[in-house]
Amino acid sequence: MSTPHSASGHMPGAAEITAVPAGAWRQACLDANARGERFGGLFARRSASGPAQLRAVFSTPGSERLITCDATERTVETIVDTIPAAGWDEREAHDLHGINFTGHEPLRPLLDHHAPLAAWTVPTVGDDVHQVAVGPIHAGVIESGHFRFHVVGELILHLDVRLFYKRRGLETAATGRSLGEGIAYAQRACAACAVTNTVAYAQACEAALGLEPDDHLRRARTVLLELERVYNHLNDISAICAGVGFAAGVMAYAALKERAQRLNERLAWHRFLFDTVAVGRSAISLDSREAADARRELAAIRREHEAVWRQLGFVTSLQQRLEGVAALSAADAERFGAVGPAARASGLPHDHRLHSPRLHYGGFTAAVSDVASGDVAARTNQRALELRQSLELLDELLTRPLEHGTVRRRGGETRTAVGRVESPRGVTVCVIEREGDRLGALHLRTGSYANWPVLAHTVVGELMPDFPLINKSFELCYACTDR
Amino acid sequence: MFVLLNHLQRLRRDTPRAPDRRRGSLAVRHVDAGSCNGCEHELTAATNPFYDLQQYGLNIVASPRHADVLLITGAITTRMAGPLRTAYESMPEPRLVAALGDCALGCNLLGDQAELAGPLETILPVDLRIPGCPPTPKAIAEALTAALHRPSSSGHSSGLIR
Ligand code: SF4
Repeated sequence: MSTPHSASGHMPGAAEITAVPAGAWRQACLDANARGERFGGLFARRSASGPAQLRAVFSTPGSERLITCDATERTVETIVDTIPAAGWDEREAHDLHGINFTGHEPLRPLLDHHAPLAAWTVPTVGDDVHQVAVGPIHAGVIESGHFRFHVVGELILHLDVRLFYKRRGLETAATGRSLGEGIAYAQRACAACAVTNTVAYAQACEAALGLEPDDHLRRARTVLLELERVYNHLNDISAICAGVGFAAGVMAYAALKERAQRLNERLAWHRFLFDTVAVGRSAISLDSREAADARRELAAIRREHEAVWRQLGFVTSLQQRLEGVAALSAADAERFGAVGPAARASGLPHDHRLHSPRLHYGGFTAAVSDVASGDVAARTNQRALELRQSLELLDELLTRPLEHGTVRRRGGETRTAVGRVESPRGVTVCVIEREGDRLGALHLRTGSYANWPVLAHTVVGELMPDFPLINKSFELCYACTDR
Repeated sequence: MFVLLNHLQRLRRDTPRAPDRRRGSLAVRHVDAGSCNGCEHELTAATNPFYDLQQYGLNIVASPRHADVLLITGAITTRMAGPLRTAYESMPEPRLVAALGDCALGCNLLGDQAELAGPLETILPVDLRIPGCPPTPKAIAEALTAALHRPSSSGHSSGLIR
């Protein structure tokens, strides 16, 4: 049934293409799933002539597969019954390209903001059931997005999440640009994941060009990724404290995040590490003095974090607000395709850093706590656990200076390739299709995109006033979901 | 808890205070009209103990109805142009509009024209421009404190508003 017509196999990131007719789409996806390949996104792309083309990414730790088909009748069979993680992807492909997924019923609008309320929300009926609409403009300094809570009193029965208010069409705009120019679009998708998104993009381009990074480049990118993780985790712990109104914790971690970002600026001239990643080379180097300075500052951040964290442990009113709230079971985390710290807090040991030969993570083990209870407390603790791990990794990585890295030829060129990087919120998948030295298509499926539906599932049965806290415990980006 | 508060107090003591703390205050309402979230991070950072925006009388408020300044971030997406106008129309007069970051200023915009509503200037009258990608918290704090004492587009000195 599936006809692999290009099998480059050995080059990490080069995708094996399984082209199927529309009628065999579902079976090809289910076969990949049954072989243990993990779903990593589904999207459609316009083609200059002919019908829209569908793509689904499946991967094992060492291989990438792209299942492709021409949606000739604009209809294929759904895969959500077996792979619920594809729910948002199918709704997006429908809204953007008019593709119908038979069996996915009702196929609710996700990006189509003109749809009437009844079309995109799940009907809930019963005594005292009512809806609470929040956003798109929120009360704090928060990204824009709309939530519709179906509640009885304060109890949440269901949540419909409508994002994509911030949709800038970055992927469409990047199409037709040179591979080198395209990285700006991946970066601008999201400041907080800028390094992750650009490394994933660069990896995809390099794989398509048959290039692999040398050791300097691997190390430089790993340092940048971990610096990004450090300031994000500090930010997220601060945000969780804000979720329960614990101001001392908010400010202590905000101050730590500030220190981490000032370090970013010292090392890479930018507080969010913008423009530090490029296709085929590294845009950062550190001499031994700078590396030693960074290690000292990171050690100071670690000491201060440990001291503040210990104090937080004594604040019973804070701890009791976190425990038992919005528990996500390991089974649901797996079923809905949860990723990142949120998945690991539920006991899933997935961390793409384990399988990143194009980065410098030798000897890495995923941090999973023995009390992976999946609640807000577990997600908070998971961040602290991974923060320490990142600080240790950086300490080790910076014992030597960082020299300018480059790439070397490893294999042949391919048209399609995948980059996959663990962000502070979970694995991010970047697919590129080349047309010569131009981008034929770009697709970015970030950790946040994977986790939004998981969040919506997790809040069911919780209290509405706890939503900000639960939301912060996932701390998902709107920007890189909307793109 | 005690140790934590002590720690924050020390941080506050060691951070240089603003030399000039003039009187007045501004209530700021933020609207994300299609940002990459960098500008939001830095606006929030401007309230951290290192910059402490509140000490200048600058407060971020929950509703445009409470606000003197509408602070806008991001390329203006077609989907956010409507809510943005609604927020502006809900504000009491006199009011200021501030563009935070290069996107809101219309510089180096990336994105698909079909998804973007056009520069902020064509949608609302912009009084205050804070450039940068993103502007640093220091730049944000400085620009907003300067706004405390500058006349608004409607001729009032904004520092006298509240
Ligand atoms: S100005 Fe820069 S940081 Fe601000 S929203 Fe635009 S791209 Fe992001």
